[in-house]
Amino acid sequence: MIPALVGGRSVGRAGPRAQGGLPGSACCSTNRDDHPLQTGATLPTRIPAGPPGPAAPPALALGVDRARLAGARRILSLRGIAIAGLVVSSLFAVPGFVGAQAGDAAAGKTVYERKCAGCHGEKGDGKGPAAELLAPKPRDFTAGLYKIRSTANKVPTDQDLFRIITDGMPGTSMPPWRVLGEKDRWNLVAYVKTFAADKFKEAPKKLELPKEVASSTESIKRGKEMFEAIECHKCHGTEGRADGPSRAELKDEWGHPIPPANLTKRWTFRGGPGRTEIATRLANGVLGTPMPAFLDSVEKPEDIWHLTNFILSLGPESPHYATLIQVMSTSGPIADDPNADLWKNIAPANVPMMGQVIVDPRNFNPAIDLVAVRAAYNDKEIAFHLTWDDPTQSADEPAKKLAADAIALQFPPQVTAGPERPYFLMGDASDAVYLVRWENGKGVTEATANGPTKIVPIQGGEASAKAVYANGQYRLVIKRPLASKDTARPTFAPAVFMPVAFQAWDGGAGESGTKMSLTSWYYLRLEEPQSNRRFVIPPVVAVLTLAVMLLVVRVANRRA
Amino acid sequence: MRKVIGAFLAIALVAGVAVVAHGPGPAGAQGGGTIEAAVTYAGAPVVEKLKVNKDTEKCGTEAVIERVVVGSNKGLAYAVVSVPGAKGAAKAVKTTVDQHGCKFVPHVTVMTPGELDLKNSDDILHNIHTYSTANPSINKAQPKFKKVMMEKFEKPEMIKLTCDVHSWMQGWVAVMPSPFFGVTDANGATKIENVPPGKYTVEVWHETLGKQTKDVEVKAGQTAKVAFEMKK
Repeated sequence: MIPALVGGRSVGRAGPRAQGGLPGSACCSTNRDDHPLQTGATLPTRIPAGPPGPAAPPALALGVDRARLAGARRILSLRGIAIAGLVVSSLFAVPGFVGAQAGDAAAGKTVYERKCAGCHGEKGDGKGPAAELLAPKPRDFTAGLYKIRSTANKVPTDQDLFRIITDGMPGTSMPPWRVLGEKDRWNLVAYVKTFAADKFKEAPKKLELPKEVASSTESIKRGKEMFEAIECHKCHGTEGRADGPSRAELKDEWGHPIPPANLTKRWTFRGGPGRTEIATRLANGVLGTPMPAFLDSVEKPEDIWHLTNFILSLGPESPHYATLIQVMSTSGPIADDPNADLWKNIAPANVPMMGQVIVDPRNFNPAIDLVAVRAAYNDKEIAFHLTWDDPTQSADEPAKKLAADAIALQFPPQVTAGPERPYFLMGDASDAVYLVRWENGKGVTEATANGPTKIVPIQGGEASAKAVYANGQYRLVIKRPLASKDTARPTFAPAVFMPVAFQAWDGGAGESGTKMSLTSWYYLRLEEPQSNRRFVIPPVVAVLTLAVMLLVVRVANRRA
Repeated sequence: MRKVIGAFLAIALVAGVAVVAHGPGPAGAQGGGTIEAAVTYAGAPVVEKLKVNKDTEKCGTEAVIERVVVGSNKGLAYAVVSVPGAKGAAKAVKTTVDQHGCKFVPHVTVMTPGELDLKNSDDILHNIHTYSTANPSINKAQPKFKKVMMEKFEKPEMIKLTCDVHSWMQGWVAVMPSPFFGVTDANGATKIENVPPGKYTVEVWHETLGKQTKDVEVKAGQTAKVAFEMKK
């Protein structure tokens, strides 16, 4: 069990969420290869069934802290203070270390029925009243099959279950339940296990990851090679945007369609965005889903880490959502090619998109979750550069039951002083909004809307657009004149906070009409144009100051 | 005393020759009988076709999912006929299933509990995803450079094999408790040899049409015929 300690510590450095192993065992297993606590400390309830060992059983019944103390005392007597020091440091080296606790299933049942049954069902079969609206579907606990686990076999540790309850599952409807007390969460772990008690008879087996490889240019290069060799792109796409050719065929073990992960959006990874978490998913797969285990299916064991480093290089850990969209001032012409250098030099404002759930038909599981916005203007026109991921390029083809991919920018027709703005969902009867909409296969149109079902096209289009689609991503430039000819369309002016909202449709996912993802009002602000005066005035001031100083010195010298 | 030893030697020798003569067949079946099974299905074949959007060089442009294959005289292919009650040692031959042309070959693999070699002769990524309950279910990637993987199936069970990369790939591994089994050919026929004499319940299983059983008496040196008519 010495490897378990070493593994636990190295894993632990990556943060408390990466605590994949059996932390309770770390304390008690340093000195003995055959210690029964190697799995028992996380699963104290199972100890009596295990082989009798030198640890005092009563301590186990009273909880892990006592067990740890007992273990530490024994080590003190056996190996001396040096080893105890090592053990203590190993325990406290892990920030936010949480020891596994024995939960009370009966107490957990009460919490479960109050907080969990709505989605997971009273019987734990994942068929709660809310389940039909959710994608992915809530976990069916009766199958005893868990996606996220740190173990080499199919049984998750209590710690794994506790972590999912505590941190939730990003990109799904499962929220973090830190709002519940720690004790309640441990009780839930105990209760959830009772839905598939026979599956938990087997002890969790710690997954031994290969020796960690730090990220470097070479490692990322090797990771990319391996990514291609093991054909990750079949599902995850060439650039990792979940647009691989097998995407449409993927189903989970319950027969529900399941999309592959978008590897450029680590913050949506179900099991967390950290290094150890990603390496663990690669090594032992995601149970119940098409994601297979790769630990024995890479050329060399350390390729797991090269792959991890490559995946980490595909996108940021967090989207850093924007609050304000700055429109850059430029004096030259604005390129309408979405891949032009101009756009590469502007940092994007990432805007989160939500499902439209106010008007029927609603969109509870929006396909587009983020639009990256860049914008620039010159003395004549303003241009918006929009980037968003869509794994399925689709145009309006009713014969194939496909709708068009589309995106829209929404502005109030006139900017007024004060906080009053039209209703964010395409305006209402009293206050209209101006929409610039681009649709794949149709191009750009302008419209006045008094609500999502009252959209009237504006004749005499002022806007133009150019789009490219590649590897699961749209890049689009929409341009229009800075000043408008009529009152249905806004005029953009520098240094004014201009309300803006976004709407997007993934036609391949069946989105059209009110089935869309959208934002509430954001603000954009045109940078004030930078005049040449900043290069003229400071030197003039400096020269004048110098002249005055010289004058003062001269006058003083004369008097003296 | 010598005579006794001599007699034992003679018996051992005869037994040894008999085993060798039978080759890798189930041991302990000398003087056994044969079961000839004919499995028919009156309904129409069930075949799904799918347009292939990747790996067309290996998989072809059209994938065919054969759920019910009916040959001449209504013969039902890929039905597993077995004699669960017959006792005998397992074959020493290792069982292999190949992923070839984006298909599991053979479509139905029958084995006694033990090891199964999973070959990938396609030079592209497949993943072995099993749906099993008695045996641990697995989902392991088998990239192009991983030519053979070995898996253990210790408990009798009908295990569905799938590949998530190529969703039309479906195969079965039938792990049988006894070594007396056969898979029907394109005409719905199979033969189980060297079955120790006795009264047995013969079982037939088909992936879509389910199970049936019939009682059969096997006599030494004789052929017992059994016919199954599968229904939906």
